[in-house]
Amino acid sequence: MEITRREFLGYTAGAISVVGLPLPESTPTATRLRKLDKWQVLGTTGRPSIPESALGYHAALPQERQRVDPWERPSVPSCSLLIYPSLLVINQKDAAFLTRCMNRGATVVIESGAGFMKHFAFRWHRRQLRERLQIPVTAPVDLWSNGSRPSTPYVEYTWPQRARIRDFSRVVPPAEQPGEIIAWAGELPVAFKRRVGAGTLIYLGSPVGPALWAGDVEAKRWLHAVALTA
Amino acid sequence: MKKSIGDNMIPKDWGFERGLELIKKAGFDGVELWLGDVPWFQMATTDAQVRDLRRKVENAGLVVSNVSTGLHWASPLSARDPTVRAQAARIVERQIETATLFGTDAILVVAGLVTDEVPYNEVYQRCVEALKPLGEKAARAGVRIGCENCNSEQRFLLSPREFWQFLNDVNNPAVGIHLDVGNIHDTGFAEQWIEIHGPRITRVHLKDVLKHRGRSGDQSVYTNLFLGDNNWPAIRAALTKVGYDGWLIAEMEARYRYAPDQQFYDTAQAMDRLISGRL
Repeated sequence: MEITRREFLGYTAGAISVVGLPLPESTPTATRLRKLDKWQVLGTTGRPSIPESALGYHAALPQERQRVDPWERPSVPSCSLLIYPSLLVINQKDAAFLTRCMNRGATVVIESGAGFMKHFAFRWHRRQLRERLQIPVTAPVDLWSNGSRPSTPYVEYTWPQRARIRDFSRVVPPAEQPGEIIAWAGELPVAFKRRVGAGTLIYLGSPVGPALWAGDVEAKRWLHAVALTA
Repeated sequence: MKKSIGDNMIPKDWGFERGLELIKKAGFDGVELWLGDVPWFQMATTDAQVRDLRRKVENAGLVVSNVSTGLHWASPLSARDPTVRAQAARIVERQIETATLFGTDAILVVAGLVTDEVPYNEVYQRCVEALKPLGEKAARAGVRIGCENCNSEQRFLLSPREFWQFLNDVNNPAVGIHLDVGNIHDTGFAEQWIEIHGPRITRVHLKDVLKHRGRSGDQSVYTNLFLGDNNWPAIRAALTKVGYDGWLIAEMEARYRYAPDQQFYDTAQAMDRLISGRL
């Protein structure tokens, strides 16, 4: 029997709920959030490609846990969660640093901000992701091209809890690579996670920050769930 | 109150100067200039050319009432694409710059566009964030940004209190409302919008509306003054009540199949009746 990866994940999640196993909590309690180590939103100085994305992450996680830009290198390894919103380019030094953080156990979220980039600029983005962070991606996909529209305007996340978050018109899908697909736009994979050393790399091909910024409660719950796994 | 009409109403084959002559002859005091909507006033129009346009307006015995644009329908401040958004902000900046060159103190902006792709909450936040720095620029130039209520077309800020809250969130006296009394359709009453927004009204667009046509048919809902469903005595009274004494700007659709210039005369006369209160 042929079964798509998406169908398999759907059946698995359904089976868990049928046998009565608890699905992840939709709302983390204040007590649980207090267990979070420091987290940091990176790369927001200069001219970010989607400024509201960083604003969204800043607004969504507890302020007392926040380290402020500029990037204070010595303090970052103590962070359990590092988020790089709407990333376009990353230099070799910063990429190596992120890798060291993951090797020490941190969770690093890389959110692509290149969905609207023109062809030449996107090639540069793709090359940097591949060579510096070992994230191969495919060309951006316009979910709303030529007047067509997706069946639903949502990206469906399957990990760490199920969530529906508005798409951001364009996605930069991950290419085939080791790891687990954690989000789909229809049949299109848009995010994955994989272990790197003692830590975790999460790649988001569809920005979540703008939904956080616009007050999407489900996006906030999802991010809290990610933070709690870190 | 003074009367104005848009230069985008000038018949296409007439040209700017002939159009200005008609506007003056019909009895208007000023002209609303539409950036990007007419061949003589584009984003690429230089400052020197803008000054030349101003000379032509003044030579015709008119002044520029305000600078409007329809460019934000294609390039809205609420766009997700950062490049489009930057272009939208640049359009507003150019409106501010040219308003100063024209010697007027108001511009019209269509602030955001809700679509099935770009949802309301995003549009709201993005417009507030965009208008804060633009409002500061406008204030420094002595210009007010009037966000137009294009209720049905924008699917945004559909009620007067919602619009009020939006302006509160922008929180800059240089950002107000360019109130179009024809755009409210059957979702409310223009006179109530006037009363609620009062001193925040930067300019007033005039046209009438045929509410029964709704928005789903293939016929326009808009029509000439006094032919539609607007309660003009109530609108006039509300303008008096809030002390509005600024520009009234006709924004008609060019509906005359023959003698298109006649629409200018008819509109100017109707506006005179409205201003005089003989309704």
